[in-house]
Amino acid sequence: MTTRAEFLERIREQVRMSPGRSPASSARRPQHPAAEAETIRRELVERWPETLEAFRREFEGVAGVFHRTASIDVVPAIVARIAHERQAREVVTWHSAALGADLAPALGACGLDVHPMPAAEPSGGAERERLRTLAARADLGLTGVDLAIAETGTLVLVSGAGRPRSTSLLPPCHIAVFDRTALVESLRQAGVFLEAWHRDGRPPAGGSAINFITGPSRTADIELTLTRGVHGPKEVHAIFVEQPIRG
Amino acid sequence: MSDAELTTPFRQRAGSAMKDEFLQEALTIATTKFIGLRREAFAGFPEGEALRDRARAIKEATLQHLDRHLETLIANVERLGGHVHFATTPAEARSIVVDIARRTGARMAVKAKSMATEEIHLNEALEAAGVTPVETDLGEYIIQLAHERPSHIIAPAIHKTKGQVAELFTRELKRPAEPDPEALTRIARAELREKFLQADLGITGANFAVADTGTVVLVTNEGNGRMVTSLPRVHVAVMGVEKVVPSFTDLMVFLAILAKSATGQKLSVYTSLVQGPRRAGELEGPEEFHLVLLDGGRIAQIGGPLREALSCLRCGACLNVCPVYRQIGGHAYGYTYPGPIGILLTAMLEGAPAVRDLAHASSLCGACVDACPVRIDIPRMLIELRREVDDEKLAPWTERVAFALLTKLLQNPRLYRFAAKAGRVLQRPFARDGRISRLPLPFGEWTRTRDLPPVASRTFQERWASDKDLRA
Amino acid sequence: MTARRASLMVTCLGDLFFPEVGVSIVRLLRKLGVAVDVPADQTCCGLPLFNSGYRGDAAAVARRTVALFKESEYVVVPSGSCAWMVKHEYPGLMADTAVGPEARELAARTHELSQFLVRVLGATEFTAAVPGRVTYHDSCHLLRGLHESESPRMLLGKLRGAELVPLPGADECCGFGGSFAVRLPEVSSQILAKKLANVESTGAGCLVACDAGCLMQMNGGLKRAKSRVRALHLAELLDGGR
Repeated sequence: MTTRAEFLERIREQVRMSPGRSPASSARRPQHPAAEAETIRRELVERWPETLEAFRREFEGVAGVFHRTASIDVVPAIVARIAHERQAREVVTWHSAALGADLAPALGACGLDVHPMPAAEPSGGAERERLRTLAARADLGLTGVDLAIAETGTLVLVSGAGRPRSTSLLPPCHIAVFDRTALVESLRQAGVFLEAWHRDGRPPAGGSAINFITGPSRTADIELTLTRGVHGPKEVHAIFVEQPIRG
Repeated sequence: MSDAELTTPFRQRAGSAMKDEFLQEALTIATTKFIGLRREAFAGFPEGEALRDRARAIKEATLQHLDRHLETLIANVERLGGHVHFATTPAEARSIVVDIARRTGARMAVKAKSMATEEIHLNEALEAAGVTPVETDLGEYIIQLAHERPSHIIAPAIHKTKGQVAELFTRELKRPAEPDPEALTRIARAELREKFLQADLGITGANFAVADTGTVVLVTNEGNGRMVTSLPRVHVAVMGVEKVVPSFTDLMVFLAILAKSATGQKLSVYTSLVQGPRRAGELEGPEEFHLVLLDGGRIAQIGGPLREALSCLRCGACLNVCPVYRQIGGHAYGYTYPGPIGILLTAMLEGAPAVRDLAHASSLCGACVDACPVRIDIPRMLIELRREVDDEKLAPWTERVAFALLTKLLQNPRLYRFAAKAGRVLQRPFARDGRISRLPLPFGEWTRTRDLPPVASRTFQERWASDKDLRA
Repeated sequence: MTARRASLMVTCLGDLFFPEVGVSIVRLLRKLGVAVDVPADQTCCGLPLFNSGYRGDAAAVARRTVALFKESEYVVVPSGSCAWMVKHEYPGLMADTAVGPEARELAARTHELSQFLVRVLGATEFTAAVPGRVTYHDSCHLLRGLHESESPRMLLGKLRGAELVPLPGADECCGFGGSFAVRLPEVSSQILAKKLANVESTGAGCLVACDAGCLMQMNGGLKRAKSRVRALHLAELLDGGR
């Protein structure tokens, strides 16, 4: 078996003997990513309507369904309508702390079976299994959004306590709720946030996965026929809330 | 492809592929569609050209300090609680993964599409160890059920019709299937959903690994990459050493051009940034995370003639535009990686003798360089490989003699003139109405389908020498 | 900028198989007031050897060419591939030798014909030798090696008596590729067949290219198919109205 030392030494040897040929430089990283991320946010306070419009255009371009509403209080009604149109009842949601609001009572009042995910790690394997089964059986998954990238119509979701990965993955329909604080214009700007979360800033959650979601799951593997919902959701909805969710 | 199939000469394999009518149609449709999608994506993205240069510069800069970036990556993966393994050979990589499977008592492994695990023939090794590998990318799943190999880097099953897939599903899954992509996809979803939930082991490759955060990046459209890295107890990622990039800032540059080059999407549906095993408070994510760093011939090329090929993103753009790939498809190449970049990667992984014939499977038209998101100069390296083949005297002696003679002739104008005269005499029995339609071999390879112009009765230089009007 | 003298690098294929292309170039340039010379004892630029991996042999042949054209002010080449070889590969081939600087100078002084006409002489008004509908095939080395797609199109677009129609897939290889055409003749021929189907679809009577290799391939296919389409070198078509 190759040891780490041998392996790396062989690479070192090659690196020493290889001259650089073409222009070479890594991307210029933000010096203070948290500060730069703050600047991006501040500048977007002015520009958010254009950015949102760009997001909507791109998101719809990848077959996302866009909704816009004045306040978080209206979200349960929108979710209920989506559910009823699909004759669906079972909803798994991120924990209220992760969503920024407790929507379970209102969703329940709309006649849905709501299963909020716990804020803390499940105590044992059986509980973990039960929660996963709930997500696997659910018709709808309701999540928040950490970044919404206008350039590509992408929703970025960071995993963590109360924000399982499965909520946006296992149900056939994913509904994501966001406000203007999540908006960024470009992949480059999203990169600044990623840098900030991992360096001097604070990540939105302490999980081990960050997922960029750009529309519903798709494949074209059979005769290049575009088909949606092969493993992940067949539908993705994004609900934009005009008033900041966290007040 | 089996060794037995590989003993068929490349030219014959290519010939059979060109006789397969369905394959021909599928290839034309698929490659034409991919070319159009890519073109459109970049047409609406003016900053794309500059980003391609940036991406290339990042790859080059990373290679120049690959040791350091890997050390950083390793340190960060371990800091996050992951384990890092080192595989010099495919055999070593296989045994590392099999050992992990054994130790964790895995019975079933779900796999996201990964060229690296194709390259090391991992599935056979898992099966031999009693672990059932299940490919979960729809195309790969079809290929696995059919016991075939992928024919395109990003569309592994483009050589199959929906009818063939329906028959395959009916036979292998014992479920009546209609030849309708939508219905077939639903069947695969149901079949594979169960496997995702049951599997103990998730196996992936890595499109990138971000050194300074210990992040493995997976790009998929179907969501299987997310399933495989979220649901099983153990996640193993197998990755060529060249896939590391320094930072998230660098990563964004690649993400902006990868999907556009591959499928014309602005971004693939899912880009998953995976950072070690599940953390406190998380519902899902593996208990164990392993990263297998694979050499397999790559390291020797850091300072070698194929260095540039280490920048490859595996987007498949060069396949779609390659006039040779477009005629023969992926299987005829005979190895894991098809197309123009595949020839280079095959030489890297298997050594130059493996591509003795493949090195010539290119008209050197350069369409690949133009399509490549990081502008890899594939023709230059193909010529380099041809040279290596020549230097090692791997080319047939007849060819070597012919080229030695040609060199003599081109260095000596008298010989050159004599050859022109000799040509005029020798072609007499074959030339009719100013054209030659039939010649003995090796020139007969030309005249089988094409006429050849005869050597002119007076060459230009002869006319220039004797014709005063022309000179005046 | 006006060139008063130019040397013609006729190329091996041009010399042996298409002498009338050289004749047309001489006439065209002379009409534009350029004196043409043809350095004696030309053979080949070495590209066939280079492409097949015989780098040392190619360098030996290339050194001859550098010496032959040492005195030339401008060197005009009728084939994009040979021009690319001289401009793009000669400097590297001879980089570490005594003729390295000469190779670099030659590279700078060498021009493919359409580029010479348009970009050096600024001459774009010609009369078609064969009137009617024409279409243009981009040869790979001219298009992707020398990044030239405009000059030939400009010349054809303005050509008196000719109507330029676009060729679907004009930028796709014709399947020649030097020794590729005989090493993998079936693949080469199928690529050619698709190219010619596109050519026929344009309704053009004349297919124009700026490379002897492509012309050999495409003309070979057209003649075998008894097509009414003629494949001509750009120079032949521009050389009308005498």
